[in-house]
Amino acid sequence: MITKPPAASGNPALSLHSISMSLGGNRVLDRINVDLAEGEVLGLLGPSGCGKTTLLRLISGLLLPDEGEIRIAGSTVAAPQTGIALPPERRGLGMVFQDYALWPHMSVAKNVAFPLEMQGVRAGTCKDRVVRALDRVGLGAMAERRPSDLSGGQQQRVAIARAIVAEPPLVLFDEPLSNLDRELRETMVDEIADLVAELRLSAVYVTHDHGEALTLANHVAVMREGGIEQLASPDELVNHPKTAAVADFLRLGCLLQATRGADGWTINGTDLSFPAETIAGSQAQVLLPEKALRLDASGPMTLRTQVVRSQARSTGHALILRLAGTDHVIRLLSPRRARTGDGVDLSFAPEDLRWFPVGEPVH
Amino acid sequence: MARGAVAPGAEGSAGLKWTATIGLLVIVAVPCLFIVIQAIFPDFGSGSLAAPFSMFFKTLADPDLFGLAGNTLLLGVGTVLCAAVLAVPIAALRALFRIPFALIWDALLLIPFMIPPYIAALGWIMTLQPRGYLEQITGFNMASLLFSVTGIMLIMGLNTFSVVYFVLSRTFETIGARYSDVGRVFGAGQWRSFWRITLPLAMPGLAASLLLVFAMSIEEYGTPAALGRRIGFEVLVTGIENRISEWPIDLPGSATLSLVLVSMALIAFMLQRWLLTRRDYRIVGGKPQAHDKRNLGVWTVPATLLFALVAFLATGLPILAILATALSRTISGGLALSNLGLDNFRQLLGTGSDGLAALGNSLMLGTTTALLASLLGAITAYSVVKGRGRFRIVLDALSITPNSLPGVVVAVGIILAWNQPWLPVTPYNTPFILLLAYICILLPQPVRYATASLHQLGDNLEAAGRVSGAGPLKAFVRIVLPLILPSMVTAMILVFAVASRELVASLLVAPVGFTTIAVFIWQQFDQGSAGLGMAMAFCAVLITTLIPLLLISLLRWFSRGSVAGLN
Repeated sequence: MITKPPAASGNPALSLHSISMSLGGNRVLDRINVDLAEGEVLGLLGPSGCGKTTLLRLISGLLLPDEGEIRIAGSTVAAPQTGIALPPERRGLGMVFQDYALWPHMSVAKNVAFPLEMQGVRAGTCKDRVVRALDRVGLGAMAERRPSDLSGGQQQRVAIARAIVAEPPLVLFDEPLSNLDRELRETMVDEIADLVAELRLSAVYVTHDHGEALTLANHVAVMREGGIEQLASPDELVNHPKTAAVADFLRLGCLLQATRGADGWTINGTDLSFPAETIAGSQAQVLLPEKALRLDASGPMTLRTQVVRSQARSTGHALILRLAGTDHVIRLLSPRRARTGDGVDLSFAPEDLRWFPVGEPVH
Repeated sequence: MARGAVAPGAEGSAGLKWTATIGLLVIVAVPCLFIVIQAIFPDFGSGSLAAPFSMFFKTLADPDLFGLAGNTLLLGVGTVLCAAVLAVPIAALRALFRIPFALIWDALLLIPFMIPPYIAALGWIMTLQPRGYLEQITGFNMASLLFSVTGIMLIMGLNTFSVVYFVLSRTFETIGARYSDVGRVFGAGQWRSFWRITLPLAMPGLAASLLLVFAMSIEEYGTPAALGRRIGFEVLVTGIENRISEWPIDLPGSATLSLVLVSMALIAFMLQRWLLTRRDYRIVGGKPQAHDKRNLGVWTVPATLLFALVAFLATGLPILAILATALSRTISGGLALSNLGLDNFRQLLGTGSDGLAALGNSLMLGTTTALLASLLGAITAYSVVKGRGRFRIVLDALSITPNSLPGVVVAVGIILAWNQPWLPVTPYNTPFILLLAYICILLPQPVRYATASLHQLGDNLEAAGRVSGAGPLKAFVRIVLPLILPSMVTAMILVFAVASRELVASLLVAPVGFTTIAVFIWQQFDQGSAGLGMAMAFCAVLITTLIPLLLISLLRWFSRGSVAGLN
């Protein structure tokens, strides 16, 4: 247990040690380890069913883990081995829910005041802090409205104000933007990013949208089937995905199959060849990152493709290209329109490719 | 999260859990337990466990029992048939065709819900008996039909068929719009699509509502007691009442008969529950969509007349008979202008009258029951929804048990439990015993309303409260309770309406000299002061339905949509 206030403690805002959890006989989380420094944001990214929401509920105390230890700002809040299991109300957290979870029978101000009221903050102070929190999310004028009178985006802002009003050592975001439409989602991501930076919040942000995770988080944990596939900074994830699954989930580009022959590696169905020492094994997957591709034939290596479809977009033309000789599809944004059936040459540098061995998963 | 209830995590309040458990044990389990003990150990009352099962088997082997159980079954099945014959045709007509004044017929057919069956039965007696209103108007009476087993079935069918009518017309309409129209697109005519699609799909709903009618009719006391006794037609309910209220008092006999009756009600209830929760053949629910109904053509007038006749028999006739009797100076004076007067009402509502005291008692008890039953119901439903494992199963079972406990059985259980001579303190012989009985009988209503309402609440509303720092109890009081309050108010009004005029348990356990509305009406009718009794019946129907209806519309008006779920 810590005695110093969390702001000066130097303790990690969150530390998960070997967390495991089974629900109905299925292992939904398997030995998760994460440390998050104060003032940083951890993104939990993954497809539905990967365990990210379960992990967040374990941190909040709405669920209890089977094994492992959870520490928030230095104090242990859950450790089944030693019988520690703090209920959610004693963890001092803020949380933003996917469905907002605003209480329909309370005004906006009452909703936001609730966490302070539970801490026994004096009415006068409480009012000031509620006003400040609502101003911060731009809803100062809506204090006396009912949540049901607000739009989806406004409701989510109220939920954010409620989560930060008590200045908790850790704020949890549970897919907060997935119920909003695309345009609003993009504005809200920026707003949350500003808020997090201004308040120096420590936060865990769960999402299945890699754009949100890469924008908001200092560290992103890509989760798959109850485990963390890769935990890294957004740049590292994009430039050096650890596995084909990570590359696929982040939609970094086209994943191709390669086979090792007598004189080195060949990408199946093409005449592209690479030196034998590129990677060990006899089969491999190769990531052709979208950002490494150029729409010309200048080399150093080139690919022959055929246009399958060209779709008009606000930012140009989205080309869907088929790699000649294969079924692989490459998506690329082009300033020019292209006709179905046209041939298009693409250039890339061999060092931009990422190679993943096939067969044994990398951990 | 579908498995949220199974996974360990933020638990509900232990305090609420124990409140629900202890409340249910005292109110539901204790009376049930004492009935079973009494049925097994006939001398339990004098503190002896001697001769177990001696009376049990004796009563079970008693030819009386076969007679009573047979009559009960006969009455239940007969009432179901009458209700089906009355309800199915008009429900189908209402759902598939344009009926003139349809909304008025619907409103009129709601009224049988508001008239307690025993009051309606008394209205029918006043009308059909020798020298009753029918004879005064037309010159002949139908006493031979009235005081017959068929007559009892018909009158109980008239009291209960609107349950079936409303379930069925709504189901027919929904199915018609959703599936039957599809059948017509693929070439089935309207009749064929009704027989091939609508009716089969509506079967589970029809069966479930008919089972409800069956349960209602085998648990009913007033009608068989008022009509059946004159022709020696006894059913289990009246048999139990006899054994416990008339000399020589036969406690083991009444306990054993209670067990038989409960078993029958339980089977009906389980069957109904099974029908309604079956996955493979889901009951079609939801709001009926607007879809085009056909014109009846030349059949418009006959169909309208049919609706008018059914509505008159179910609603108009009993109410007119009650009003006529209440407004008659003397019964022998009959239907004559000179005989009209408000004498009965003046006598009933005069200062310090017995009637006024009975009204006051019932309103007081009704209100208290509504408040306590709803609170206990809400806590119980919450604890079941939040509960886990064996605990949850026990609590759930205890909370639905009263569904299959007829009022007479609850009364027997309460007498057996709380009238034991060795009890140092007992609520017996105080108005509190009525409170215990009413809460036990009516508990399923608030539990059902609260459960439905809790299932509609998003899980995260409470979770958000917990994460914001509210403990389990505080989260319940500040978040869950206010959100389910609108449905709880509806449940309270329902409980109030039924509790304030409950008959058989009140007759059996009311303390000496303590009268309620129902007891007052029953006694006046027994003593030949039908006018005074009917005046009270009229006031009771008015007060127990008008006040609640007014409250509901006031609440709706005040909340004006800001509170969800008030409908």
